[in-house]
Amino acid sequence: MTVGGVIAYRALFNWTRPSIFIGTLLVGPLFQLLFFAYLGRQLQVADDRFYIVGNAVLSATLACVFGGTLAVGNERRYGTLGHVLLSPRSRTALFLGRALPYAGNGLLIAAFTLSASALMLGLRIPLSALPGLMLAMATGSLACSFFGLTLGALGLRLRDVWVISNVAVALLMLLTGVNVPKAGLPGWMVAIGNYLPITHAAEAARRFAAGSDFATAAPELAREALIGLGYAVLAAALLKIFELESRRTASLETL
Amino acid sequence: MLLLGTLLHVKQISRSPLEVAIAMVVPIVQATLAVYLFRSGGEQHRLIEAAVGAGLMGVWSSVLFGSGGAIQNQRWQGTLEMIMLAPRRPMLVILPITVATGLTGAYSLLATLTWGRLLYGIRLDFAHPAAFVVAAVVCVLALGMFGLLLASTFVLMRNANALTNALEYPIWLVSGMLVPITVLPAWTGPIAAVLPTTWGARALREATTGGPVWPSIGICLAISLGCLILGGFAMTYVERRARAAATLALA
Repeated sequence: MTVGGVIAYRALFNWTRPSIFIGTLLVGPLFQLLFFAYLGRQLQVADDRFYIVGNAVLSATLACVFGGTLAVGNERRYGTLGHVLLSPRSRTALFLGRALPYAGNGLLIAAFTLSASALMLGLRIPLSALPGLMLAMATGSLACSFFGLTLGALGLRLRDVWVISNVAVALLMLLTGVNVPKAGLPGWMVAIGNYLPITHAAEAARRFAAGSDFATAAPELAREALIGLGYAVLAAALLKIFELESRRTASLETL
Repeated sequence: MLLLGTLLHVKQISRSPLEVAIAMVVPIVQATLAVYLFRSGGEQHRLIEAAVGAGLMGVWSSVLFGSGGAIQNQRWQGTLEMIMLAPRRPMLVILPITVATGLTGAYSLLATLTWGRLLYGIRLDFAHPAAFVVAAVVCVLALGMFGLLLASTFVLMRNANALTNALEYPIWLVSGMLVPITVLPAWTGPIAAVLPTTWGARALREATTGGPVWPSIGICLAISLGCLILGGFAMTYVERRARAAATLALA
């Protein structure tokens, strides 16, 4: 089961060699962070801590949003979706379970990005902040995976779900307040951002990195967890509705 | 043949919602981000630079992913062997694809400038309007030629995505498309100096804000021609190597 799970995970994620994983999921997000950190330095919008911590949490989106989309989209693309839906097991549990390895992957990427960028840019993070930071990154990754799964569910109806996931990843950079302080964004963008994953996890992570205790960051963590739960319910509902609709109209494999 | 090939691929790419979304929507989101960052930093007078920089970032993304996908798509369609067996040099078939990705990438530049004008009222006051047009055309062609060099390396790679996904932000960063290269560590200077993207970005910035545009355009063009020659040789070399090892479809 473990070996099969690992192989399926690697295959569904389209990476069969370590070079793909390193290039796409480690190097890419690290340079994304460096790009915004240097831009922030030049414009003097915020300090390095703001960009490093925020973008480290955001770095999980690549694995989680695309992972969630791939979890559904690639089953359809490779013609295996019918087999999955014929399974006697609960498809809701099956698909929601798919989000877990992506969340774990997102946490790994976020931890790597934070460590590497802190070393490169010379940011000192107190050791006491690490458990809180890990918790914030884990919560953000999980919420983001369910968000990705929600987008993936749309893949049961749409011909090209990659357009949505590509645009969604770009929008997360703008709306979550990771790169532009909320004070610099219009109110409606902040309002939308409040209902997106990463926004509250990044805020919680920044509080931990600044030396705040758990109680100070807990409300933000709770909001992030609630948003993750909301997307999990939404993903499950959409998957159920689209599955029933696809069966009714015999359009499961129609692209 | 080059012209017809380029036209064919421009039409083909333009019919892909994914390519058009990446070429237009994503740069607009990035340009919005840049505008709010510049505003937050009290640099309202530089908003046109944000729009131009974000547009150029879109051109690079289009060339990068297009060049990577050019070979991979032919491989998936089963047409790579036919291209390599054709009596024409492979370079003459692949170059139109990479130039087409540059041309469709220009949608980004048009999109970010239009978006900036309409939504944020950014005045498109270019210091050298004619030079800006020339710089944009040269930049698109230059990136297309650079794309050929990239594409040739992708013939040998089964998953070019690893390289393409890793190269997007580093080139944006090192070329100074939005972040001035003066704020980067000194060791990035020599890397930036040999990239056509650096000189293309510089030419566009100088045409926008003022400065000696033509030397930058000239250097950009010279480096790109070097990439074209290198790409031609590299394409022939990797084609022969893939044929000898019988790995063209598998590489």
